[in-house]
Amino acid sequence: MIDTLLKKQVHKSQLLFFALSSSLGLGILLVVIQLFIDTQSIFNSKNDLLGNQNLIIYKDLGRNNAFTDAEIAELEQQPFITKTGGFTHGTYRVLASVTFPNHAGITTEMFLEAVSDQFIDITNKDWKWQPGDREVPIIIPKNYINLYNFGYATSSGLPQINEKIIRQVPIDLTLSGTHKTENFRAYILDASEKINSILVPESFLKFTNKSLSPNKTAKISRLILDVINPSDPKLLEFLNSKNYKYLSNDVKNSKLSYVLKLILSIVLFIGLLITILSMYLVITNINLLILKNKQTITQLHFLGFSKSDIAKVYHTIALKVLAISIIVALVISIILKFVFAPYLSILQVEHSFLSIVYLVIISVIIFIALALYYRKHTNTKIGLMIQPNTSLLTTEI
Amino acid sequence: MQIHIQSINPDFFTPASSEVWSKNFELHANSSYLIQAVSGSGKSSFFNFLYGLNNRYSGTILFENKSISTFSESDWTNIRKQQISIVFQGLRLFPELTAFENIQLKNGLTNHKSKPDILEMMSRLDIAQLADKKAETLSYGQQQRVAIIRALCQPFELLLLDEPFSHIDNNQINNAIALINQEVTQNNATLVIASLGDTYNINYTKTFLL
Repeated sequence: MIDTLLKKQVHKSQLLFFALSSSLGLGILLVVIQLFIDTQSIFNSKNDLLGNQNLIIYKDLGRNNAFTDAEIAELEQQPFITKTGGFTHGTYRVLASVTFPNHAGITTEMFLEAVSDQFIDITNKDWKWQPGDREVPIIIPKNYINLYNFGYATSSGLPQINEKIIRQVPIDLTLSGTHKTENFRAYILDASEKINSILVPESFLKFTNKSLSPNKTAKISRLILDVINPSDPKLLEFLNSKNYKYLSNDVKNSKLSYVLKLILSIVLFIGLLITILSMYLVITNINLLILKNKQTITQLHFLGFSKSDIAKVYHTIALKVLAISIIVALVISIILKFVFAPYLSILQVEHSFLSIVYLVIISVIIFIALALYYRKHTNTKIGLMIQPNTSLLTTEI
Repeated sequence: MQIHIQSINPDFFTPASSEVWSKNFELHANSSYLIQAVSGSGKSSFFNFLYGLNNRYSGTILFENKSISTFSESDWTNIRKQQISIVFQGLRLFPELTAFENIQLKNGLTNHKSKPDILEMMSRLDIAQLADKKAETLSYGQQQRVAIIRALCQPFELLLLDEPFSHIDNNQINNAIALINQEVTQNNATLVIASLGDTYNINYTKTFLL
């Protein structure tokens, strides 16, 4: 009975409108949160496409182009550089030969470099070497494979290879240092788009440098930087002032990632704005409802109904509006996840249901937070209304 | 309930000298009091002070030796459910509810009376046939009788009636007083009636001129 009294000014259509406007805001919010979660992998530094948070720098040729310890220390002190890693190169000559069955082998001079493992974009448990191991894993640039497949292999009649079978190609390395010469078996573990060099594990390079050319010191002629934003103008300005060179491609990729993040942030902001506005709308409406029923509320209270008895009616309304909004928003964002899936797969985003789980958790948190807020707000409003002296009854003398 | 009134005076108007304002007196259980006054002298204000709707007064009101200014909102809610019942001068019925619903709304808080009890009380005041009529369609005298029955549908130690019979004929007044007396006795309660002049043939413990 108290329900009918307190709800007499409530219009269902009005409440539905509020629920839908809240769902719009919450929906945008959830969709963007979901996009953020789903596209995390492309912003991640492990991805070649957009996650390029590394920048390789080197000095102009024609001068002593090794980086000194002081220069590296200076780089590390810059606020926009989080980590630096030097490319160490082998202090010995490298002769690599590959033998294909039924074909003449190829022998080529080459070089080996190593970089700290934290900069390697390939996660493979075989990427390791320790003294005594027979085989050395090697990472080569991806375009070397193309060069071989479409250039060398076609013209010389050798078989073409792909990244899978490349591992099976046995390579014999002959390393000749100042001190002695040693042979190692090697295989190509993977191909990297990020680092344009022939890499071996750091432990292998340190070991061979020491044992083959103990009196030569390795110079660092290229540095890999872990940066917050490779297209940061301050960073580029700093590098230019020092006359350090970098690959402009890395910077372009990072700009793309930056723009994508910016767009997502703007949409997130709009979603937040709409959510806040619709929340405000719901609150204003609850206020209006309470105000319209002021007489009924005070009379009920003075009849012996407690504040919570009365507030409960309005809590139920607010909770229903909120629940409808969140459920609609959640359904919209889950549907959109499947609509977006083909587009995201172009960006090499793996389809995962994890984001739905996160979304549900976030929705529950939003529901609880807003429910508590509405509850508090309603209680305060009704509390003010039923205070002594402010009532409609006290006008009787 | 033992009620001590210690020289209270409203803050929002200056009353003429009377037997209530600025005086010390007590209201006892199993007693009836009449507050007799002309219009505008502050009867309803006095009732509102006792009922906790208004606290703009100086002086002290004690229920069982406890100052009512210390009561919290939930204390008052309990008091209004279990200890003090009131018929407002303006009745304060809900016009969109039926006569019976208005009574049941109050009764539902404590389930003090059963449905047949309520209907029996209604027929004693000759309004049983109006049980399903909306309050807004009833005459003021009929509404007054509904409000009186509503006030009796809870346990109480103090019953405040603010000009309860102003629009009721003498015959029904007698019926109402019989019903009220019966309930007050059952509850061992204090009865306080405010009236403009009529004394309604009740044997008052004391009459206050306001």
